[in-house]
Amino acid sequence: MSDLNRRDVLKLGAIGAAGAVAGLGFPAVIRAQAKEVVMLGIWPFTGAFSDVGPILDRGMKMALEERGMKILGRPIKYITRDSATQAGASTRRVEEAVDGEGAKFVIGPWSSGVALAVSEVAKRKKVLHYFSGGTEDISGARCHRYSFQWAASPYTAAKTVVDTFMKANPRAKRWHLLVADYAFGWSVEKYIKEVGKTHGLEFVGADRHPLGEREFSNYVTKAAGNKPDVVAMINFGLDAVTAAREIFNFGLTPKLPLIMSWSSGVEELVQLTPEIRENIWVGSNFYYTADTPVAKEFVKSYQAKFGGPPGYAPSAAYGMTRMLLHGFDRAKSVEVQDVVKGLEGIEVNDLVGRMRVDAKTHQTLRPFFFMRCKPKSAMKNPMDFADIIATGDTPLPAQYAACKDIGSF
Amino acid sequence: MLYALMGLGLSLITGVLNIPNFAHGALFAVGAYFLFSAIHAVGNFWLALVLAPVGVALLGLVIEYAGIRPLYAAGHDYQLLFTFGLSLILGEGIIVVWGPIGFSQLPPSILRGGLDLGFIFYPKYRLFVMVMAGLLVLATWLFLEKTRYGAIMRAGIENKEMVSLLGIDVHRLFTAAFALGAYLAGIAGALTAPIRGLSPSMGVDMLGIAFVVVALGGLGNLLGAIAAGLIIGVAQAVVALYWTEASVAVIFAVMAAILLVRPQGLFGIR
Repeated sequence: MSDLNRRDVLKLGAIGAAGAVAGLGFPAVIRAQAKEVVMLGIWPFTGAFSDVGPILDRGMKMALEERGMKILGRPIKYITRDSATQAGASTRRVEEAVDGEGAKFVIGPWSSGVALAVSEVAKRKKVLHYFSGGTEDISGARCHRYSFQWAASPYTAAKTVVDTFMKANPRAKRWHLLVADYAFGWSVEKYIKEVGKTHGLEFVGADRHPLGEREFSNYVTKAAGNKPDVVAMINFGLDAVTAAREIFNFGLTPKLPLIMSWSSGVEELVQLTPEIRENIWVGSNFYYTADTPVAKEFVKSYQAKFGGPPGYAPSAAYGMTRMLLHGFDRAKSVEVQDVVKGLEGIEVNDLVGRMRVDAKTHQTLRPFFFMRCKPKSAMKNPMDFADIIATGDTPLPAQYAACKDIGSF
Repeated sequence: MLYALMGLGLSLITGVLNIPNFAHGALFAVGAYFLFSAIHAVGNFWLALVLAPVGVALLGLVIEYAGIRPLYAAGHDYQLLFTFGLSLILGEGIIVVWGPIGFSQLPPSILRGGLDLGFIFYPKYRLFVMVMAGLLVLATWLFLEKTRYGAIMRAGIENKEMVSLLGIDVHRLFTAAFALGAYLAGIAGALTAPIRGLSPSMGVDMLGIAFVVVALGGLGNLLGAIAAGLIIGVAQAVVALYWTEASVAVIFAVMAAILLVRPQGLFGIR
């Protein structure tokens, strides 16, 4: 003590006081932020797809709550932002959440076109981004180290749908396509046509409609005029529901089969009456009767909480979050780049069965479901919409792969 | 014809009350949901089709009396904000009462399926809607043109002060105009339900088109609203046959083209 002079005492006092303040006051927030793992759910709470925003949120929350809102001993701070299904709003809000709230792990949104914009933000900001949707570009032409795709490849979907349908209806060679005019529609259309070649299909028409179309009478008139054996839709959500209803009103179904190639399953089917659903065939990334232990447990707990079975939307949010958390476990780290490496090549038995993330493309290799809707008389309860008649997991053949080099960090 | 029906109701309210009714789309959606509930309550589509728009008209009456009327003194901006807020409240109300996920309503069994018209195969229910909406437009037009109260409403659009000076209760006129506009929105929604189904956002989709119809026809001009509704509907149908991707854009393209030539709208004078 004898070596200390007045100046040293003052210095030590200042440091001590600062330490005390840091322990008691607002710097505690800074310390908590450093320990917290901030995850952002960018979901459509307004605009197109606003009906599924809240249930996507549910799915992500359920997966996090299963882990007690913790990962590797650290608390998870879950925040949400409204994507509004607009690229501008989504990118601005993701940047704000990354810069302002310290979000390092982003899941969503729900539209392929918007997701591609968010993926660019993830690349620039070096945050991990998980998405589930129909565009092939996330794991294709615009792949990079920070973005991952949970949904099956559009090729896997097209192969499952076309092969299974043609096996059941070998004479249905004349196909009319009704396609949503954005990234998801283009991707699935391309592969339905490719796979269709192997079955000798003739595409007698392929009309594209804008996202949010509500007047399908003219599209249906054109489809009817082409005298197809089957109408295949590559659209989603309310677009698909409205079109299916119109096709029924025009009397095309149930005489002709209608394929909903990439459906959200429950969320769409519940909006159609049993009469409209007759002779509808449905491809989806999830159906609630999926026979896996994780799906059974999830469906049970979802039904107990919300009174109905989950569709593709909450299941995708739940599934993506689970995969992300598996990535943390494998990496044994909460650093973004470690978790990216943890996810690359990971192989788990999860929500839809065997799932593997291709390290070269960040595409999740996984089964895709194909269902046939039940007639009213065969339904055991009002939510018993369909039977799973096939699952397919054929990966994208190398000649179609657009992600040549996923690059470095 | 549905566009004309929506545009006519909105034009009536805009003309008489001098406010753009942002809740018009929500009233359209409420009409569809009222139809759905009425069918479940009374088990008869036709009776439900009568009851649903009457329910929306009564709702309109209450909205004008309890919501808009106290704001007449506050000024135009407040009424405008009120109708905007009301549209959000009604939209959220639909979610609270009927849920966020939409559903389908089948047409009555006699109107299911289609008719071969020789050149086109067309759903019976759509043909019914065309005829029904046409009759409603005609009835509304006759009411406005041939009855004393219709003449008062038209006079109210032209000069409210003069109507008031003639000893007519102008507030009652406002209430009646709003209720009639709400009725037209409600029946348009009810008729649309079996075609487009029900979803909480269905009113938002229709509101934009209704405003296009009103602007194109001339603000507050009833004949203009009918003509604009028909022009928009026909333009959309024709374009969709040859260039389906442009079927929505054409609505706004037609509006822009006509307003460039006639900024006051087809029949507008101001």
